[in-house]
Amino acid sequence: MTLQLGRHAFDDDAPLMMAIVNRTPDSFYDKGATWTEDAAFERVRTVVEQGAEIVDIGGIKAAPGVEIGPAEEKARVVDFVARVRAAYPGLVISVDTWRAEVGDAVCAAGADVLNDAWGGADPELVDAAAQHGAAIICTHTGGVTPRTRPYRIEYDDVVAAAIADTVAYAERALAAGVARESIVIDPAHDFGKNTFHSLELTRRLGEMVATGWPVLVSLSNKDFVGETLDLPVGERLVGTLAATAVSALAGARIYRVHEVVETRQTVDMAWSIAGRRPPRRAIRGLQ
Amino acid sequence: MIPVALVPGVLALLPDYASLEDPVADLRAACREAVAALGPRVRVVASTPSARRVGEHLVSAAGAEVAEHDPTGVLVVANGSATRTEKAPGHLDERAEAFDESLRELLAGPDPAGLAAIDTALGAELWADVDGLVALADLLTPAQRVDVRYDAAPYGVQYWVIGYA
Repeated sequence: MTLQLGRHAFDDDAPLMMAIVNRTPDSFYDKGATWTEDAAFERVRTVVEQGAEIVDIGGIKAAPGVEIGPAEEKARVVDFVARVRAAYPGLVISVDTWRAEVGDAVCAAGADVLNDAWGGADPELVDAAAQHGAAIICTHTGGVTPRTRPYRIEYDDVVAAAIADTVAYAERALAAGVARESIVIDPAHDFGKNTFHSLELTRRLGEMVATGWPVLVSLSNKDFVGETLDLPVGERLVGTLAATAVSALAGARIYRVHEVVETRQTVDMAWSIAGRRPPRRAIRGLQ
Repeated sequence: MIPVALVPGVLALLPDYASLEDPVADLRAACREAVAALGPRVRVVASTPSARRVGEHLVSAAGAEVAEHDPTGVLVVANGSATRTEKAPGHLDERAEAFDESLRELLAGPDPAGLAAIDTALGAELWADVDGLVALADLLTPAQRVDVRYDAAPYGVQYWVIGYA
């Protein structure tokens, strides 16, 4: 299915890189490296040069911490979205938020996608997306409250639960008026899930792809990689790329990443192994 | 005499082996122009099934059809040595460049008698595909107009694309 991400359309066989841009002082990976607006803008410039089609701008870190109200969240992201929109008309701008109020404001400032990492905690977020012709990412969290850690959550079948919840969310977005080609589902590794859950979701990602909704995966440097390999943040790239390759083979369409170049290479390689992408330039044995 | 074209049996010309960036774009363009001059029914002369496949693909890509009888043109699939460099398929053979130079003179003439007398044993040692070049002897006269559209060995294999009218 063709993807329509706000102003931008993509062919159905194109895997897309969504680069994470944090306007936060405390996110787990960059620890505030792009907290200032200029540093965040520099990060955008870098990932655009690296070929990312999408930036995902977030004003609140996912993990628990200092409470950030909607006014502060908007102060962090709305003007920044407008600045990026003006500088990069061809770039897809996604904003990582669960609040409808923030979603409305960033779409008015030029955002194309609302990335609801918290699985529809604010039921009016879909209305904001529909009203602005934006796309929406429908994630699975198992129903947890935003910015809480999973604690003793179990599923009869985590993949079935992820499919049921994200597809239901997608249908809700559709009913609210979001275009079918602008709805993406995301199993949300580590959100409401332990490491075993995230590994199983990766292993069985093909079942999510088989729903027909385009699938986004957000694997980058997450704790399920860290726990699987017993490696701290900063040493998880190889494990991230292994999970990326498995997800790409299954057919995930969008990759939310810290490392654009490495992920692109991994996805391109897996995409070609899957027979969905020709080699860049093959002549050996064929001349 | 009906028009004749010579192209190399490069597998990278086949759609089965298409890359995102065409490694033989110039060669492909030259082949397209040469085959376009052969009319709607083209006989293909090739030494191997894969070379024939390349020839037949170029014919159909030109919008023509492959015809054994009563052709409007003949497409010969053949090429020089594949031992021109250390990275060539057959590695470097010091004799290859001179051998290809001798072929070049025969083709540019054209020299039908010389083409009929090509040293095919040496050609085999140099991984050349010269059967089609020998066959050209019966298809050409020395007076024909020669149009060399491609003459290079970009991947250690000597290619020519030549039209004869």
